[in-house]
Amino acid sequence: MRKAKESLVLLLAGGAGSRLNILVQKRAKPAVPFGGIYRIIDFSLSNVMNSGLQKVGVLTQYKPLSLMDHLSTGEAWDFTGRNRGIQILPPRTGELDSDWYKGTADAVRRNLDYIKSNPADEVVILSGDHIYHMDLDAMIEFHRSKRADVTIAMMVVPKSEIHQFGAGITDKFDRIVDWEEKPKEPKTNLASMGIYVFDYNYLIDTLSKDKEEVDFGMHILQRAIRNDNVFAYPFYGYWRDVGTIQSYWEANMDVIRKDSGISPQKWNIRTNIETMGRFADRPPARFGFNARVKSSLISAGSNIQGEVINSVLAPGVTVEEGAIVKDSVLFADCMVKKGAVVDYSILDKGGHIGAGAVVGTGDNHSTVNKLNPSHLYTGITLIGKGSEVPAEQKIGRNCVINSSVKEQDYPGKSIEDGESLFSRS
Amino acid sequence: MLKPTTLAIVLAGGRVDELNVLTYFRPKSAVPFGGFGRVIDFSLSNLMNSGIEQVALLSQYRSFSLINHIGTGAAWDMVGRYRHVSILPPFIGNDAADWYRGSADAVYKNLDFVKYHKPEEILIISGDHIYKMDYLDLIEYHYEKGADLTIAFTKVPQDEAHRFGLASLDDEDGIRGGRVTDYQEKPQNPQSNWASMTVMCFKPEVLYRALEENQAGESFHFGQDIIPMLLQGQYKVYGYKFDGYWGYTRTINEYWQSSMDLLGSEPLIDLDKWVFRTNLDHRQIRDNEPLLLGDSAVVTNSLIYNGCKVGGTVKNSILFPGVHVKSGATVENSVLFFNNIVGEGSHLNKVVSDVNNSFGPGSVVGAEVSDEGADVTVLGGNNQIPEKTHIGVGATVYPEIADKRWPEHVDSGEVLR
Repeated sequence: MRKAKESLVLLLAGGAGSRLNILVQKRAKPAVPFGGIYRIIDFSLSNVMNSGLQKVGVLTQYKPLSLMDHLSTGEAWDFTGRNRGIQILPPRTGELDSDWYKGTADAVRRNLDYIKSNPADEVVILSGDHIYHMDLDAMIEFHRSKRADVTIAMMVVPKSEIHQFGAGITDKFDRIVDWEEKPKEPKTNLASMGIYVFDYNYLIDTLSKDKEEVDFGMHILQRAIRNDNVFAYPFYGYWRDVGTIQSYWEANMDVIRKDSGISPQKWNIRTNIETMGRFADRPPARFGFNARVKSSLISAGSNIQGEVINSVLAPGVTVEEGAIVKDSVLFADCMVKKGAVVDYSILDKGGHIGAGAVVGTGDNHSTVNKLNPSHLYTGITLIGKGSEVPAEQKIGRNCVINSSVKEQDYPGKSIEDGESLFSRS
Repeated sequence: MLKPTTLAIVLAGGRVDELNVLTYFRPKSAVPFGGFGRVIDFSLSNLMNSGIEQVALLSQYRSFSLINHIGTGAAWDMVGRYRHVSILPPFIGNDAADWYRGSADAVYKNLDFVKYHKPEEILIISGDHIYKMDYLDLIEYHYEKGADLTIAFTKVPQDEAHRFGLASLDDEDGIRGGRVTDYQEKPQNPQSNWASMTVMCFKPEVLYRALEENQAGESFHFGQDIIPMLLQGQYKVYGYKFDGYWGYTRTINEYWQSSMDLLGSEPLIDLDKWVFRTNLDHRQIRDNEPLLLGDSAVVTNSLIYNGCKVGGTVKNSILFPGVHVKSGATVENSVLFFNNIVGEGSHLNKVVSDVNNSFGPGSVVGAEVSDEGADVTVLGGNNQIPEKTHIGVGATVYPEIADKRWPEHVDSGEVLR
């Protein structure tokens, strides 16, 4: 018989994830919708649930409302019951009114009272930002068998990407002997996934030492590697940060592709369908007589009369006759009117594309977004939450139409590649 | 605080022989419908949308599926201080060693529960029908007329009329309703085609008295006994005329037809507009990922719920969660319940298939060429159909046929037990 381990989980869900541009204009990154009916945080929460862990504290900071609504009582992930619970830990200031969390370790340190009031053998610290499937129970078992003070989940990434991560050098016993934080010239390709198992008492001790140590990767872990027992738990499998528009889009497309390694259903990923007033409580998807659909993920409550190719549709999306949606991700309740085209774009919730409009015109993917060249540079166009694209409007590549833009905000019938448009009200 | 005054009683226990293999393990009201719900969800959604939130459910036959389906009642917003749904299973009385002997007997045996709620009006409805009705409008009419009993009636084709409880109605209130002057349960020579929808609003004391009196008799049904008794006793019985869609599913062909009414560009049953709700915790259907369509998928005029995977062709069909249509397979004019697997190159036409059936590659079920008048082919659940099996038009396959008992051909109209 397998008995659930009594480890406390802390989920860091406060990050803004600002490279996701308008997708995080009204919500924190963990609350960004993903794969039709899910949100990014569902993957971490479901991993916790499927690992038999029962107590979770969720640290919020940036735009937490949407997230709190989604977490609700935690029932969707089976966190309700006598010994179970999910607790939202809102940010709190330190001595000064102005000091918000200065880093991951600082955030956990400010919640030491929560940790102390929930005694456990280990504290598992994860972020709510990633798409992956992992058995945390096995990781805790590994941690115990190594008698580690800290265990860090690590995976091999291409050398070209290691500069975004904490990188560890291990000996043959998986002990981490050296560490480089976001190295420019890496000596290793073993990257930290930001998932840590700490011995309970060790965590309390180490956080109590020096308040200037505000970040796990920069401070706490490096000192631990020098002085204590830190091990790398090797992870093999699908794991994506989805921190950029491009990687977010690609991970969504992975759900459609066979053999990409991601399968929410097989991974037993749960979501809360009652967020936003039972947003996913809808009848089956409806397909019309002239529907043409392939290689797509389509959620209940959608109504497809036109063409959908290689796209991910959340609940309640309507694609009218003669409309084409291709290589795109559409959030809940988007409307694509007759004859409109949506190509290589991401439409936030409630986007309305007028008849005959084209979102994503032409083949020029290389004119980057002028306002945020580091966000949009591969050709993807973004339409913000509740925005309108008027009938017959043309919108180019790498464009951003901000949230709540209305018909009168458009300067003309064509938005050039790389432009952004804001609501004037 | 404003307290609710209506108590609704849903008659949900019946099994219908004509529906046969689909009601082998569940009452008729729990038969899947609409790609993710159950037949009873129409009544429960009507109650929710009418704001009637004190509900009792009378079950008898194979209650398990129904009890599971209702859960806490939260799906229909029936959880709260004065909001509830209570399932009243049958029990054996003090004197008589019998189970429910009919719908009226079932309510009679639970009169203590009914009276405890001190209702000002009692709405008794069947859980077996497919329609959208605002019960408050009927209750309002009931009060306008000062009626003892108000029953909803709808017009059915004259040649079908003998299958229903029929009323003669006068035109006191035109298209709204009128006084019931005569009522006959399933008469051989129908004089009217106003069929009872089994939606009845009673004045409580009239109901209590009628049920008491009825106990002395030998038959215990609302249609057969209670309504005629009240008419005879000069009670004020009114008919509320309903002209919306009313689907009844007493035979496999009717079940299939009602399902097809979900499809088309102007569907007669529009689940979205009707604000149809089901319990997504039942069978954990909430945990299904969205529908996944392969690169050679063709899907037209169909309803498909989350959890399905379609690699082949689906036309004019309804797929419940967990159905896989493999590439090269074709499903048309069919209704496939939860977790059916349709193997490569199979062809299903005008089929109703209960849960967990798998069709081996190359099987052919129903007409190879579409024929409007063809009978429906129906399969009970948990069958593993061997590859290349032919099952003819209008055949009936019982649930859980043992592997070694499968013939290569099941003839048209044959019953495989």
